[in-house]
Formats: sequence, structure tokens, C-alpha cells
Amino acid sequence: MNTGHKFLVAAYCCTWAIQLGYLAWMAIKWQQQRSKLPSRTGKSR
Amino acid sequence: MKKLFLFLITLGVLALMAWGFYQAIYAAPTEATMGDVQRIFYYHVPHGMLSYLFFSINFVASLLVLAWRRSNPARAQVADAWALAGAEVGVVFCSVVLVTGPIWGRPVWGIWWTWDARLTTTLVLWLIYVSYLLVRRFAAGSQTPALAAVLSVFGALDMPINYLANRLWRTQHPSPVFGGGPDSGIKDPDMLAAFGWNILAWAVWGLAVLAIRIYIQRRQQAIDAASASAALAAD
Amino acid sequence: MPGFSKNSARAGWPGLVWSHLRKDLRIEWRSREAINSMLFFALLVVVLFSMAFDPTAATSREIAGGVLCVATLFASVSALNQAWSREIRHQVLDALRMTPADAAALFIAKALANFLFVSVVQIVLGPVFFIFYNLHPLGDAWLLLLVVPLGTWALVANGTFFAALSIRSRNRELLLPLILFPIFLPALLAMVLSVKTILNGDGSDPQLLWIKLLAGYDVLFTTISLLLFATVLDAE
Repeated sequence: MNTGHKFLVAAYCCTWAIQLGYLAWMAIKWQQQRSKLPSRTGKSR
Repeated sequence: MKKLFLFLITLGVLALMAWGFYQAIYAAPTEATMGDVQRIFYYHVPHGMLSYLFFSINFVASLLVLAWRRSNPARAQVADAWALAGAEVGVVFCSVVLVTGPIWGRPVWGIWWTWDARLTTTLVLWLIYVSYLLVRRFAAGSQTPALAAVLSVFGALDMPINYLANRLWRTQHPSPVFGGGPDSGIKDPDMLAAFGWNILAWAVWGLAVLAIRIYIQRRQQAIDAASASAALAAD
Repeated sequence: MPGFSKNSARAGWPGLVWSHLRKDLRIEWRSREAINSMLFFALLVVVLFSMAFDPTAATSREIAGGVLCVATLFASVSALNQAWSREIRHQVLDALRMTPADAAALFIAKALANFLFVSVVQIVLGPVFFIFYNLHPLGDAWLLLLVVPLGTWALVANGTFFAALSIRSRNRELLLPLILFPIFLPALLAMVLSVKTILNGDGSDPQLLWIKLLAGYDVLFTTISLLLFATVLDAE
């Protein structure tokens, strides 16, 4: 069934998009935190 | 030493993912009636089962928040980080289910969606935990962990309700593959292997992501605590 | 008034519920503000849907359950949003935290009061509803008297609980429906499908499974609410 193939690809791509998207969001959060960590010099934001 | 450990774990997760993918796309035989589209099963169903795992983690962690919030606030904070992470990862996995499901349904049933037991209950579950996450975002204050934990208990009650609904009503969606009845279960050993590898791969992935999220949340808690005491000291 | 020892507070539990309930009912009877706004919203929904769909007799039996539930939902939310506002305004909750009185009694009384208000609205609008939709129940109509209160209790009990939970939030009015609707959905489903089965009289649910699910839902969620209400009260 050839038509089924594009749905298969779509499903797998969506899965990875969602999972990697979440990872990316976490990475952004991580970066934001790095500038705010209290363990740096006495300056706080 | 720690960096090496983390590197190996990452490698392991990626290897499992790749192996799972190979199993699903190449090693597993093509299904008789549905053809290649059926391979969505190897991603769709593990995500479905695992979302329940992460929501259960949220439930247990929330109970601990409620149990410890007076007696051991430090531990309650840790539990709260686990609760939040569990809910978020659960929502991610549940979202995948809700997206891959219709993509599979369209070519096979001809429809994107129907309001049968399985689809409806999954959507409800997703809505409940999304609302949990929104509550955590909107409700400001020191009592947010306790209130969110209470909400989480209510949300968790939906899981057995869903389980009952799916067992009692036979509907459009395929009946439970495992333990559904005398004719259920995967018969083909290659298919079973592909399924097994994928559920393992996604479980490991999910737990790794959970660990990262908990770490980030703990750091956030430290930052918030530091800025709170800095604000107090500045006065 | 309950005494100051735990024992006498326990013994007077029904009395405590009754005194809270009487107070709420009396205040509402004097101003009737909650019931009026509920009646208005519910009527609006019924009229709007009737104009939007203009159903035939057969169609109306299919959708009546849904319309009734939506009307009840809107009516209830408008009442639930200010369910605890009086208590907050007069620092009643703080006072209660200082007494040994059982928090659960307050919850049950508040839920019962709201349940009675919504039921009054349903009783008033019921005939209107039947007329607008030309309803003619083909099944056991008396079962409606069981299904509708069960479904309404599910909504009101959960709603009262979550209203207390979201008291201190900035977006309280937004948060309440946001939390309530997803959790209420299984009960909503059971209620709508039961009403549809009853009105259609098609015997598609001989074991009354939906009604049993609804009753089970009520028992489960009411119990959990009773157990956790003290926690919520504490946390404010």
C-alpha cells in the first residue's frame, strides 16, 4: 500500500518533532538559568 | 567521571532509539491488512502506555508532596520537581499519541477522529494534565505545590476511569491488544520483538528526559529561593 | 454551636452541615442573585441552541442531553465563581481555621447549597426545555430524575472544591472552568449518553451502565473531595 507510506513518514516525523521540540524547550530553559545561577559572583539579576 | 557516564548514557539512549527504529521499519514484517501504515503501531502504542507511567509518577510524587509538606519541606520540594516533570513528560507522550493516532486512522478507517471510548478518554486525560500544567503556571504563591498536588490526585483518578471505559465498550478503535480477550495479543514473534524494543527505547528516552527536567526544575527552585532571600535581605 | 473538643465537633457533624447550609440558603433567598444569574445563562443557552439547530423531534431527542448539560454547566460556573467570595470577603475561612470544626462539613454544606440552586434552575427550566424542543421521551422518563441530579452533583461537588482551590489565584474565573471541565468530562459523557438513551428509548443500555458509572464517579470524587478539603483550606 503505497499511499500508506506517506502517513507512516508523517507519523514518525511528528513524533520526533514533538519529542525533540520538548528537548529544545528544555535547552532554552537551561540557557536562561545559566545567567541566573546564584553560585556566580554576588551579583544577582 | 560524571561526564563520561552521561556521555555513555546518551550514546545508549541514541543506540536504543536507532535499533528500535530499525526494528519497526525494517525488521518487523509487513502487516497483512493494513500494510506499511501499521508500523505506526510501534511508536503509537508505546507512547500510549508510557504516558500512563509518567502520569503515575506525577501521582506518586504529588502524594509525597502532600505527605511531606509539613514534616519535611525540603523533601516535599524534591517531590514537587518530580511531580511537575512527570506531568510534562506525560503530556509530551500523550500528545504524540493524539497526533499519531489520527495519522494512522485516516488511511485505515477513512476518518481522522471519532468520539469513541479510547480516543475520548485519551483526549480527556491530555486535557486534564494540560490544565494541571496551566494551573501551575497561573497560580502564583508558595502554596502552588500543595494545591497542584491536590489537583493531581483528581487527575490521577481519570486513569482507572479510562481503563474501565476502554475495557467495557467495544468501539471503533481496535480493542486492547494486550489482554483484550482470547484473540488478542501479538502473535508474530518478530512483531512482538519490534514492539518490545520500541517500548524499551521510548521508556529509556522518557526517563532520561524526565531526569533532565527534574534537574532543571531543582535548579529553578534554587534560583527562586535565592532571589527570594535576596529580596528579603535587601529590605 | 459546636463545642471546643474534637469529640463534640464530630458528634455535631450533621448539625454543623445544617447550620452552614441554612446560612447559605437564607442569604441566597434574600438576594436571589446567584439563582437569577444562573437562570438567565441557562435560558440563554437553551434558546441559542434552539435557534441555531431548529431540531426535528427525532434530532431534538439526540441533542437534548447535550444541550441540557451545557446549560447546566454555564449556569453552574457562574454560581461557582462566586461560591466562596462571601467567605473570603468576611474572612470566614480564617475564622474557621481557628476552630476545631470539621472543614469537610463546610464543603458538603456549600456543595449542597450550590446543588440546590442549580436544581432549582433545572426545575424551572425543565418545562421550557421540553417545550422548545418538543420533547417526548420514549424511554423510562423517570430515570431522568436519577440521572440529572447525579450528573449535577458531579459538576457542583467538583466545582465547589476547585473554586476553593483557585481562590488565591489571579485568574480565578479563568482557572475554575479550566480545571473543572476536563475532570468533569467523564461524568458529562455519562450524563449526556444516559439522557440520550432515555429519551430515545432504544434500549441500547439495558444494564444502565452509564448511570452506574455516573453514580460511581459521584461516590469516588465526593470522597476524595472530603478527604482533601482540609488540605486545600490549610493551603490558602
